[in-house]
Amino acid sequence: MSLKAQVGSGLDEITPSRVTVERLLAAARRQIADARTKGVSAETRFSAAYTAIRMLADAALNANGYRTQSSRTGHHYTAIQNLTLSAGVTVETVRVLQTLRRQRNETEYSGDSVPESTVQACMLQAEELLKHVTAWMAKARPKLS
Amino acid sequence: MKATPESAGDLLFPGGYRRRVLSLLLLHPDRTLHVREIARLTGTTAGTLNKELARLHRAGLLEREAVGNQVRYSADRESPIFGELSSILRKTVGLADVLVDALASAEKSGAVELAFVFGSMARSTESPRSDVDVMLIGNIDFAEAVRLLYPAGVTLGREINPKVYTKAQWRKAVAAKEPFVREVLAQPKIYLIGNDDELESAGRQRSR
Repeated sequence: MSLKAQVGSGLDEITPSRVTVERLLAAARRQIADARTKGVSAETRFSAAYTAIRMLADAALNANGYRTQSSRTGHHYTAIQNLTLSAGVTVETVRVLQTLRRQRNETEYSGDSVPESTVQACMLQAEELLKHVTAWMAKARPKLS
Repeated sequence: MKATPESAGDLLFPGGYRRRVLSLLLLHPDRTLHVREIARLTGTTAGTLNKELARLHRAGLLEREAVGNQVRYSADRESPIFGELSSILRKTVGLADVLVDALASAEKSGAVELAFVFGSMARSTESPRSDVDVMLIGNIDFAEAVRLLYPAGVTLGREINPKVYTKAQWRKAVAAKEPFVREVLAQPKIYLIGNDDELESAGRQRSR
């Protein structure tokens, strides 16, 4: 389903904002830096890397003129799932990101611990997505990047 | 590839399509399917299936309803052995077979040394929407684990959540008595690769 077709059922239409996109990208970079911090728990670092992924997904939506309806349940899911449309991310990568999202929910709400290899995987995905979204914006939305 | 070397599933359900039909319907009791859908999902032909489905219905295992000129089947939850039979299917042919197949290449390459299902699916307390929690111990990359398991999730109609530990991380977590790992160890598991003994030894600190 196109982004436009989801208006009212998960997405709102907005005017793309260079300021908001830049702020989200900068915030995502800070989250990635936080995820590298030594001496804090794996869960906190995982959460920071996941937040970066979510912010990048929101930035990509904004650049296309949309945002998730945050009052709706599943807005993290929606932002991530739409990365294929909002920034040309592959379906395979989106599956990995969705699996990380579910892991994050388990961690936040059930107190599950996160293995270090998953923290590393989440950081790697966040870094790759930052590169991908930045490159996509420079090419497809030059006025916003 | 079977769930266990002596596959209990094979032994108990020698007919290939009978166990596929039973797994399909009893492990998804919320589904009601047309004969041709069952045929497609189990890789059989509608002609072969009609007789089999009618027998399973007469035996009280399946519910049958005629809608127009089509016949639809679903699990009969009122069957006195519904719970036990679903549990047997889940632990033998249903869930494990699909996951063992999905992990075959990773087992062969040594990327996964131990794998098991834990959580509600292993405890048989799942709801129709429960995810499948799969523990993987080895050097497999998280993204690769997602890629390998994704088709199995489609087959099972459930999301699969892999938990990936390297052997060293697993040992460390066991030694630190991490609550999550302790809970996993204490609860029922369905082994896909390895067994209780191997898991026990994987958790022990190296003596040298």
